[in-house]
Amino acid sequence: MIELRNASYSYDGSRLVVDRVSLSLAPGERVVLLGLNGSGKSTLGRLLNGSLRPSEGSLSVDGESHDLARLVGYVRQDPRNQIVSAVVSDEVAFGPRNLGLSREEVLGRVDEALAACGIEGLRERMTSELSGGQQQLVSLAGVLAMHPRYVVLDEASSMLDRGMRRRVAGVVESLVARGVGVIEIAHSAEALSGASRILVMDEGRLVWEGEELPTGLAERLFGRPGPVPTSQGAADASAHSLEARCVTLAYDELVALDDVSLASRGLTLLVGASGSGKTTLAKVMAGVLRPDAGAALLDGSAVRAGSVGLAFQRSEDQLFCDTVLEDIAFGPRAAGLPDDAALASAREAARMLGVDEGLFERSPLALSGGQMRRVALAGVVSGSPAAYVLDEPTAGLDAPSRLQLRTLVRGLVHEGASVLVITHDPEEWLPLADSVAFLRGGRVTALVRAREAAVRPDLYRDAGLEPPLIVSPAEVRHA
Amino acid sequence: MRSVAIPGAYVPGTTPAHRLDARTKLVLLFAATLASFVASAPWGLVVVAAGLMVALAVSGTSPATVLLGLRPAAVILLVSVLSNAIVLVGQPGFSPEGLTRGVVVVCRIALVVGFALSLSATTAPPALADAIAALLAPLRRLGVPVGGIAMSSSIALRFIPLTVEEVERIRCAQRARGARLDEGGLAARLRSWAQVLVPLVAGLFRRADELSLAMVDRCYTGDQTSLMGPLAPRDWLALLGGVLWALTAMLL
Repeated sequence: MIELRNASYSYDGSRLVVDRVSLSLAPGERVVLLGLNGSGKSTLGRLLNGSLRPSEGSLSVDGESHDLARLVGYVRQDPRNQIVSAVVSDEVAFGPRNLGLSREEVLGRVDEALAACGIEGLRERMTSELSGGQQQLVSLAGVLAMHPRYVVLDEASSMLDRGMRRRVAGVVESLVARGVGVIEIAHSAEALSGASRILVMDEGRLVWEGEELPTGLAERLFGRPGPVPTSQGAADASAHSLEARCVTLAYDELVALDDVSLASRGLTLLVGASGSGKTTLAKVMAGVLRPDAGAALLDGSAVRAGSVGLAFQRSEDQLFCDTVLEDIAFGPRAAGLPDDAALASAREAARMLGVDEGLFERSPLALSGGQMRRVALAGVVSGSPAAYVLDEPTAGLDAPSRLQLRTLVRGLVHEGASVLVITHDPEEWLPLADSVAFLRGGRVTALVRAREAAVRPDLYRDAGLEPPLIVSPAEVRHA
Repeated sequence: MRSVAIPGAYVPGTTPAHRLDARTKLVLLFAATLASFVASAPWGLVVVAAGLMVALAVSGTSPATVLLGLRPAAVILLVSVLSNAIVLVGQPGFSPEGLTRGVVVVCRIALVVGFALSLSATTAPPALADAIAALLAPLRRLGVPVGGIAMSSSIALRFIPLTVEEVERIRCAQRARGARLDEGGLAARLRSWAQVLVPLVAGLFRRADELSLAMVDRCYTGDQTSLMGPLAPRDWLALLGGVLWALTAMLL
């Protein structure tokens, strides 16, 4: 039993990030921890595995209060921050090797953990060459190999596509069945199925605990059910257009993009399984990656880096300045704006994205995941480009922030910008979209109007995807 | 923007050199290095060079990779050859003996680089670190923190590709927001690199922090179970062959 009693924690000694929280987790239980961005969920998770010590209150795990890391495993949102070794088998062996086990025992545990996660085939691969989903399974295997009695999953699925999320959920299910206690930090309602208990955090405090979320709270956390798709009436002729023309690009022998042509006006969604070339296409269309053949065009002329706003899949990859305000102002400055004008547009962009002024002087990389995402997006918007490419812009955001972002994107489109959104949750964006492009193995399998994409599950299957739940041919939509 | 190939970076594979134990390969590299510096010119060096041909062949490394590996040091090597060949004191002039001496030294260095690259291209960094720990194990009795040394070398090896990745990340992020990195004169380019360096250092420290946290989360204390088993017969054979070859080269 993990027992946390009246625990508080503060990073700066004044503001409590976790405020007098008490909770318990029994073996074989699967508890889901919900809360908005910045509500203190990750900090609470770190308290539970002993890597942070509560400044007040106490923690005991099966009666022990020291060396908790061997009892409580921790899986992070971004596997890149968790993977220690260059080779998969060595990565999985890392934990058990630290536990003073014999060589045979360590090797046995590696086999067992790889099998439990279904990744025996990756054993001798380099960790850096794997896809994000595969890396997350490797991280999970690395934790399972230590035979923890409890596991904390810190948004471990939020960067994964639907198929991969299902695989991770399957591994977790079998863990729980074996009597491991799991606490899962999540943002989506998807995580709730099969949970034995739900906890909700707000501003550092545990505000609700129970088995079934009351409707009001669920709406606050997940937003209202999305509106029915409406015709967007594709943007008019005055809107900017962003186009990829016959783009081909290969990494060594691997062909990432194979003669891709795609024109976008208004809001275009780009969907495809992981490894289909979405991110590569995003970089080509934003002008930061030069294709082997073909070109990216903005209103008919070649895209120059910086003229198309690019939001990266991982926002921490995008941030590099010392302070939040400097980072947001980088784009306007690079475009040659004088200092005060650049700062003014940075402040305006921060306001649009809901970045609090109190954060302006902080380091962008010290923020919480959700705040970091908003700062990164503000840095893209501040340059007011004519077109945007947003790579998984809602990953790691809570429901209110997602809604806010969708509203912002709709506003950008209204002003005439062309926006390409890469997403593994098309249902979230379909109601706003003008068109949808499907990518598979570096080729465009279909480019259709959003209305069509909402009623044709076969398009998703052709692209190797599971159709989202709201897409069904049976549902007749009235225009 | 494409992934940058570093000469000698590990590439997974199944060549005979991949299958050898990392400890064997380290001992062989040690013997080969010794032979490269001790063997007398020209015949001893010819034997060493023949050994390098074998090493490159069994590891599937192309001679071009070796030249690529030497490139960063090319200027220094050239200067050292020239400074040996040109006499400035006494009677200034050109010294053929000096030139030969310089060329021989450069050859020795090229041989060592070749051997080192064929080891690093076929040995995964963690296996290399484990091998270092295994070979240093006797020093543990003298109080040398062998586990720590092995882990530091492993992490140092891991940070080479990580640094390349981090540079790419920052340059990509800056270009995406309109920074002009590859344009303008030399001064402008140097300035743009300075713009990359500051976040690079900060970024690497952050990665190091994340890494240490991830290691603590998995109970790292400094001592790890060694995963090295007993040596296979082919390893003993390779060792025997290698030592005989190195002795021949040195005694010729």
